[in-house]
Amino acid sequence: MPFSWKHQFFHIFLLLVSCRHIKTKTPGPTPPPLAPISPLPTADRSVVFKGESHTEKLEVLNPVSLTLECVWAGNHPKLPNITGFWKKDGEAIENSHLTVQLENDQYLIKRVFNIVNEESLGSYSCIFGNEAKVDFLLAAPHIAEVRDKPIVSYVGDSVVIPCKMEEPKPKPNTWKWYKDNGTAKEQIFAAGKLDRFEIKNENGYTKLTVHNLTEADSGLYYCGAVYAIATTMSHVKLKVISIQEPLKPFIAIMVEVIILVTAILLYERSQSKKNSTAGNDVNTDQSHIQVQEENSLEENSSMRQRKI
Amino acid sequence: MPPAATTSLGYSPPDGGWGWAVVFGSFISIGFSYAFPKSLTIYFKEIQEYFSVSYSEIAWVSSVMLASMYAGGPVSSVLVNRYGSRPVVMVGGVMVGTAMLLASFGTSIMHLYLCVGLIGGFGLAFNLQPALTIIGTYFQVKRPLANGLAMTGSPVILSTLAPLNQFLFDSFGWRGSFLILGSICLNCCVAGSLMRPVTKVVPPKPGPGPPGCNGAAAEEDTRVQSENLQTEEAKSESKSQSCAERFIDFSLFKHRGFLIYLVGNVVLFFGFFAPVVFLAPYAKHQGIDEYSAALLLTIFALVDMFIRPVTGFLGNTKLVRPKIQYFFSFAVSYNGICHLLCPLLPGYAGLVGYAVILGLGFGMVSALLFEVLMDLVGAHRFSSAVGLVTIIECGPVLLGPPISGALVDAYGDYKYMYYACGVFMLAPGIFLFVMHYFNYKKLEEEQRQSVAVEMRTSEETVQLNMSQSDKSTNKAHG
Repeated sequence: MPFSWKHQFFHIFLLLVSCRHIKTKTPGPTPPPLAPISPLPTADRSVVFKGESHTEKLEVLNPVSLTLECVWAGNHPKLPNITGFWKKDGEAIENSHLTVQLENDQYLIKRVFNIVNEESLGSYSCIFGNEAKVDFLLAAPHIAEVRDKPIVSYVGDSVVIPCKMEEPKPKPNTWKWYKDNGTAKEQIFAAGKLDRFEIKNENGYTKLTVHNLTEADSGLYYCGAVYAIATTMSHVKLKVISIQEPLKPFIAIMVEVIILVTAILLYERSQSKKNSTAGNDVNTDQSHIQVQEENSLEENSSMRQRKI
Repeated sequence: MPPAATTSLGYSPPDGGWGWAVVFGSFISIGFSYAFPKSLTIYFKEIQEYFSVSYSEIAWVSSVMLASMYAGGPVSSVLVNRYGSRPVVMVGGVMVGTAMLLASFGTSIMHLYLCVGLIGGFGLAFNLQPALTIIGTYFQVKRPLANGLAMTGSPVILSTLAPLNQFLFDSFGWRGSFLILGSICLNCCVAGSLMRPVTKVVPPKPGPGPPGCNGAAAEEDTRVQSENLQTEEAKSESKSQSCAERFIDFSLFKHRGFLIYLVGNVVLFFGFFAPVVFLAPYAKHQGIDEYSAALLLTIFALVDMFIRPVTGFLGNTKLVRPKIQYFFSFAVSYNGICHLLCPLLPGYAGLVGYAVILGLGFGMVSALLFEVLMDLVGAHRFSSAVGLVTIIECGPVLLGPPISGALVDAYGDYKYMYYACGVFMLAPGIFLFVMHYFNYKKLEEEQRQSVAVEMRTSEETVQLNMSQSDKSTNKAHG
């Protein structure tokens, strides 16, 4: 056996080079994380469609191993083969391209996704050929808007900001509150009774009470509904103003009332003065007429008597 | 024409001139009285959160306000009888303004009950009664029209206050809004300043003043007569009104027309407000979305707004005025029939149609409500009458919507509530119609009798004069 150290070194050299090559190769999209120690619950969703664009909304509360299936049954080119692939949030998922066979006049594509954290949520789409697709929107339950207009309160006063998860939707595990301090969301902790902030959590809703407001407390407040999979946020704007603000219109309207009342009463006084000066002449005229009438009446009656 | 009630004034009302300014003042006062409690509901949600109370506890604020407004009726009547309309309305305006001002600093729900509910309600009572009373003193011939116009204040002010309250709430929160509403309510004082006491021009006639005067009024008469020969100018209407009643005229309970009105009204108020209150929830129950349901209420308010002056005008026509009680009974019965038909109308189009005819009925009854009372008892006793009527109506007005609500909850369906309300309005309508038929007959009989008596007495006096003058001429000749 011709044993050559040169050959050996060459083999080792090749091995090392190829190993390094493998290490420095740019990795593709990170493969889905390895299955956690406890097995994920499974769920599946299947959509049968006829070529039109279809959107399916899915509410996810807990980590799940989700099987999504798209069935194109009808209105399709009757090709024996068609390419199908999956997209997440608009970007194609590597290794998801498949050749789909036409079976029972249907094209079927399915894939298992591990939905474990907030990044896993989003929009998943299955695409046949170039056009026909179904969108699956995965999200945690959405909180209905508390108020689209700001809540107004006053310096020194307290305010209660509520957040509620509507009845048919599943209740979150807990609630968290955040305040926007310009750059980031800062979580609010209601430490104890002495603290300015008070958080009261009940199953379907939460209330943040802020005592002793100052103008600095104005801004955006976020309430987060915490689910195992993610936290959904809803925001409310708080506006803290001083008591001077409503005082201005108050005083303005009061002044207007006083002016109108005085004007009306003065007008009445001037009218009555006019009437009393004119009235005396009218009175004397009237009394003259009345006296004449009475005289004529008496004359008539006496005339009657004389006639009789 | 129902005789005795209308000619007991003792002077001829202007029927115009400054009267129209008074109608405008009453428009504002009446509008605030009816619309203000209803418009406050916009703030309830936030106040409920702020004080951490249940919705029913906060809804009590509106109920207490309405109850005080009706219960304050007799107090208001007494004051109007004593001092006239103007001071009472101005005091009322100041009361409501102060109440809202105090409420804006409220620290507990009890504080709100007291300020907004009790004081505010009394202030509104001091606005409502005098505003109605003064129309009777200024108008006689055109009174139904004046009443119809004044009652239009309610839907107009409600339509103005609703979006205004929303705007105030978005800009200032509930505290600031209450503060500003306090100043807006002070405009009732402006309305009050317009309510100049009527100058009474009594047609000259030889003989004493109105009968049954007490000492003070008689002195006034003689003093005035010594100044101006034959014309009386009583500057303060209270002094001549106090001739008949210093406080409340309880003898009204013996007045046939008043009793008919009272019985009819107590029953009809059980079914009057509930259909309006439940219109939007009924629509939502049928699957209609919130905006379309709100549109129904707007349609109702618009129809209501236009029909009130029209009803007043119709009530003034020669055909209707003498038998205005029949017109009122017709309006009440029409309401009843509407409610009975409502459950049969299908879909959103049916509900829109129902909102229109409901607006017609509601407006007709509201416009005539106080006019027929004035027609029955006369402007002289109207003040006491309306005080007694409002405190007795307090019960059905407050109990009506909760009873209807209980009916809806019990059967899970709105139609039984509408049937019940229909019956509550149709029965009094027919009752009023029948009773007034008899009442008119009796009144005509009494009129004929009193005319016969007058003719006999005047004939006797003429004969007496003639015999006296015969004696004197005989003496002269002989």
